[in-house]
Amino acid sequence: MSRPGFVLQVDDRTPPLVVHEGEGFRLERFPIGTRVVYPPESLPAVRDVDATIRHALLNPEGSEPLSELLRPGMRLTIAFDDISLPLPPMRKPDIRQRVIEQVLTMAAAAGVDDVALISANAVHRRLTPDELRAIVGERVFRSFFPQGLLYNHDAEDPDDLLHVGVTDRNEDVEINRRAAESDLLVYVNVNLVAMDGGHKSVPVGLASYKSLRPHHNSKTMVQSRSFMDPEKSHLHHSAIRMGRLLADHLRIFTIETTLNNDVFPAPYEFLNKREWEWSIRDQASMLAARRALGVAPRKVKRRVFHSLESPYGVTGVHAGETEAVHAKTLANVHRQQMVEVQGQTDVLVMGLPYLGPYNVNSVMNPILATCMGLGYYFNSYRGCPLVRQGGAVILYHPVPNEFSQLHHPSYVDFFEEVLAETTDPVAIEEKFEQSYATDPWYIHLYRTSYAYHGVHPFYMWYWAAHALDHVGDVVWVGADRHTVQRMGFRAASTLSDALEMVSGTVGRSPSLTYLHNPPHLIADVH
Amino acid sequence: MMTRFLRETADDVRMVARGWRWGRRPLVPRNAEPFVPEKEKYVFPTEWARRRPARALREVVQEVGLDPLLRSQVSPRVTGLDMLGRVSPPVLFVANHASHLDTPLILCTLPDAWRRRTSVAAAADYFFDTWWRATGSAIVFNTFPIERRGGSLSSTPGDLLGQGWNVVVFPEGTRSPDGWMGRFRMGAAWLAIEHGVPIVPVAIRGSFAAMPRGRSWPRPGRPPVTVRYGAPLSPGDGETAREFAPRVVAAMSQLLDEDRTTWWQAQLRAARKEIPDPSGPKVARWRRVWEQTAPPRVGRRTDVWR
Amino acid sequence: MMLALEMYRSLPRYVAARAAGGRIPGILTGPAAPLRLVNRDEPRVEHESWARVRPTLSGICGSDLGAVTGTTSLYFSALVSMPFVPGHEVVGELLDDCDDLSAGTRVVLDPVLSCAARGVEPCASCAAGATNRCDRITVGHVSPGLQTGYCSDTGGGWGRVLMAHRSQLYPVPDDLPDERAVLAEPLACAVHTAFRAAVPDGATVLVSGAGSVGLFATLALRELTSAGRITVVAKHARQRELARSFGATEVVSPDEVFRGVRRTTRAFRLAPDHQRAYLLGGVDVAIDAVGSKDSLDTVLRATRAGGRVVLSGMPTGGADLSPVWFRELDVVGTYASAPSEPAAGGRPAFELAMELAAGGPLDGVVGAVYPLYRWREAIDHAHSSGRLGTVKVAFDPHGER
Repeated sequence: MSRPGFVLQVDDRTPPLVVHEGEGFRLERFPIGTRVVYPPESLPAVRDVDATIRHALLNPEGSEPLSELLRPGMRLTIAFDDISLPLPPMRKPDIRQRVIEQVLTMAAAAGVDDVALISANAVHRRLTPDELRAIVGERVFRSFFPQGLLYNHDAEDPDDLLHVGVTDRNEDVEINRRAAESDLLVYVNVNLVAMDGGHKSVPVGLASYKSLRPHHNSKTMVQSRSFMDPEKSHLHHSAIRMGRLLADHLRIFTIETTLNNDVFPAPYEFLNKREWEWSIRDQASMLAARRALGVAPRKVKRRVFHSLESPYGVTGVHAGETEAVHAKTLANVHRQQMVEVQGQTDVLVMGLPYLGPYNVNSVMNPILATCMGLGYYFNSYRGCPLVRQGGAVILYHPVPNEFSQLHHPSYVDFFEEVLAETTDPVAIEEKFEQSYATDPWYIHLYRTSYAYHGVHPFYMWYWAAHALDHVGDVVWVGADRHTVQRMGFRAASTLSDALEMVSGTVGRSPSLTYLHNPPHLIADVH
Repeated sequence: MMTRFLRETADDVRMVARGWRWGRRPLVPRNAEPFVPEKEKYVFPTEWARRRPARALREVVQEVGLDPLLRSQVSPRVTGLDMLGRVSPPVLFVANHASHLDTPLILCTLPDAWRRRTSVAAAADYFFDTWWRATGSAIVFNTFPIERRGGSLSSTPGDLLGQGWNVVVFPEGTRSPDGWMGRFRMGAAWLAIEHGVPIVPVAIRGSFAAMPRGRSWPRPGRPPVTVRYGAPLSPGDGETAREFAPRVVAAMSQLLDEDRTTWWQAQLRAARKEIPDPSGPKVARWRRVWEQTAPPRVGRRTDVWR
Repeated sequence: MMLALEMYRSLPRYVAARAAGGRIPGILTGPAAPLRLVNRDEPRVEHESWARVRPTLSGICGSDLGAVTGTTSLYFSALVSMPFVPGHEVVGELLDDCDDLSAGTRVVLDPVLSCAARGVEPCASCAAGATNRCDRITVGHVSPGLQTGYCSDTGGGWGRVLMAHRSQLYPVPDDLPDERAVLAEPLACAVHTAFRAAVPDGATVLVSGAGSVGLFATLALRELTSAGRITVVAKHARQRELARSFGATEVVSPDEVFRGVRRTTRAFRLAPDHQRAYLLGGVDVAIDAVGSKDSLDTVLRATRAGGRVVLSGMPTGGADLSPVWFRELDVVGTYASAPSEPAAGGRPAFELAMELAAGGPLDGVVGAVYPLYRWREAIDHAHSSGRLGTVKVAFDPHGER
């Protein structure tokens, strides 16, 4: 039986707590009285995943069974979530592979010939063949990739985009042409966090830059409170409008899957546990890991961390009409991640791990770290933000001035050029977004190499817009001073220094809350 | 570089040692207490204690340490060993339990060949509470943990019987508070039926007088204790634990009576169903203790019955 | 007799400086410096239109340091006459009347010793007003020497007296203080550079280097041309600040040149095997204001096809010239300045320079003034001026402290 999440009050019996900081973690003794939000323990996984998938496909929500939607001579497109989900990547077989295999089995049985598989990466980088293989599995890969029928969505390919229409709010809906012109579009999702899935799958994952602009902008993001709560997220409202428009034009069969919180594989299971329950063995593994990380060169550390694969269990598979499916999926996600928290706090403390959605097999650069902390983690709330208006956020991450030239070329320029001038998301959007989004070099790299689109760093900064608007002070513990300064933040070497630094904003004895994440959690703040 | 690494290592170790209170009980933060999971039943592994190296070590400890020590502190008298000639291992030794002396008394009075193949069921919550007590008792007494608070019967005694080991069980589940025999639990009878092994009752008298609950060393003056092995009891065909258990209790009672008097008198009393209740008279507590703390008086000693 | 710093020929010192100079800068201001402080004869005025000048301030230029450290190409060895007193960035006072200028006039010096000064028939360049291209710099009245400060007869700014020809002299307006007037010569070079760059309207310009050459070039480009975006490559914090105040649109650090230029020009960046990256596309005009191999390499690789590369620092060579060929680059040199700049309607570069000196944000640009006897400190300071946040180090030849 898995225990629910809860809020720990640090007392004199509390052992030091793990705080993630990039490619490593530290033990931190929090001041007495600090609240620590722990996610619920892993829900039990379904026993027979394949049977669950089959059941979902044959008994869908608000739709005929998949097998009845398939007929010979039809045009079938299967789109799936890209490598940004789940985090860390799932131990093979990936859930998407298992779903796609069953969909294809049914399609083969129904005599469907015209099938294409598309990674719904929007303006994310293309996936390498190896990465595609890891997601869809060897069988699917071998059957489709060499024929060019398994490929990455290209948001800049004018020949492979179709303008479907505009919504009642005048939002352009332009998505992948192959998907839009299919008789049936099957979308296979991994719903790791509450912002994923639903109408965010097709209208966003397969969109062009033009179709992303209505919701991926600083104004929408400031008003998405939070973007982890689709009901209150303007981002999602826009996506839903687009999704409904698309649903009128195109038959979409959505398959959504949810995972439990088994994030850390052996021998790092101790990171999944509550610290006071660590056995001697856990303590020994922790010490060994800390020491090894202490001497390991950065490259080795990176390789070790990025080779982690999570032994996730599947907690649910739902299929059918997008909105009906997503309601069930969200319930599953909430069941796994929701923690009730009473009241806001003056200071919110968060430790950022080595991995975010956009640096799989890559470097978490300063902008991604900011997006991770002030975007994803800050927005992991429902109700009201965990930190009060004008409060302070303390983040743990080394934030080295390090970028992947391969994956994040536009980020470097964003950091050097844009952030040197201003850190205000609105001003940034106004002055620079267009020029980056249309820079032919970024477009070239996005389309032919493995680079994120030129506009992507802007989105990352918009992701943090709500937090930048809401909090009064941001201090990074253990960070590179110059790097965080460029982003408009300050660096401290220890937690006590950081508290000293924010005392001007929140006073001498602020209330502290530490978000013990990962594994993922959503704070339900009352 | 090296010194920095060492210094950080020392810091880490110190922090973990303090945070998790090495050598002491770990504590749970107060408001996390409602969320503490039920403690997983951790069974201390004792398999190793029945392997060759541990056996060799135990042989030395028992022969050179335990046996002389026991005999220097109490004067045990053992009777009825011939009963063992009538059965072959594995058997279940069932004894009354009044003192920590009982286990060493049984082990030291058994013939060597039997002793080497005998293991003792010990309370998991006491003997297997800490690793050092568990390790010590497993080496010296060849104990294995048994859950005395009911619940599922641990599978170990059955496994041991299956592997040909004799098992000592104290069906009272705990030492008697006043020296009189307590209520027997069904576990022993159930085991015997399940594994088709005979029960050898063992009556121990005087151990309470020598070292009752609360004492950690026998009374001075080498107090006498008697250990009497009784006739083996085998469960009949189709006999249930519920039927067999009273037979075991009766045999125990008779054996205690026999030790106090003579075999024949006990036989006669048994025939007349006049065996005194081994749980003692219903009188004031002090009188019960008083009677039990007297050194065991042995009935008319007739060599014939010895 | 006068006190002067003299540079003399010493093969061992030259070799030592060349070998160790880059790595152990201390050695250059210590035992290995081919410099000495001596009492030597004052230069004697023997010809028409020559007069003695008493320098009040005399700058230390990159080319002077090059001579001290032995990084200057031996190409120039035939153009100097040892031993000489260095110093060609001079503001001083006339000690004698000189044609129309009376003794006591404050003057700055165009150091080029052209046909007029040497008393020979004007060569073609001099006749056209481009004295900096003079072909007769080794003959005539004075011993060989491309400039004052490299010629053993004229003396130089690092001594207490030098002599100059009327053709070299420009009177200084009274309201221009010495600290600014001493910058007239480097500013004149910058003015010349700006004209040589021939920047089209709104063109993007890259200036590699933010020492005095780069900074002044930036200033001149901003003031005298209609350049669009000017990107300056600067290493040190103070240089970044100055570059901005001198008119740079953007300042980047040396390892970010391609990034910055690529962004502003929307070029494509390529990474060849085992070599530095380069751009397809890039700036219209690039100015190398350092002269090092790295810097030259950078500007060649960051300039668009058909663009112009101006060599303003004294080049030390060794760069890969493939881009010049493949991208059809115009590579132009710029040396000293001309008394008649065609791009300025035939005005002398020095006049424009003095206007810049008067109007530019140049306060504090002369960051340190040393007396001659503290020359080791002065050279040392000049050598690491970028890091120390100084643009120009100067001697006050008559100063005592």
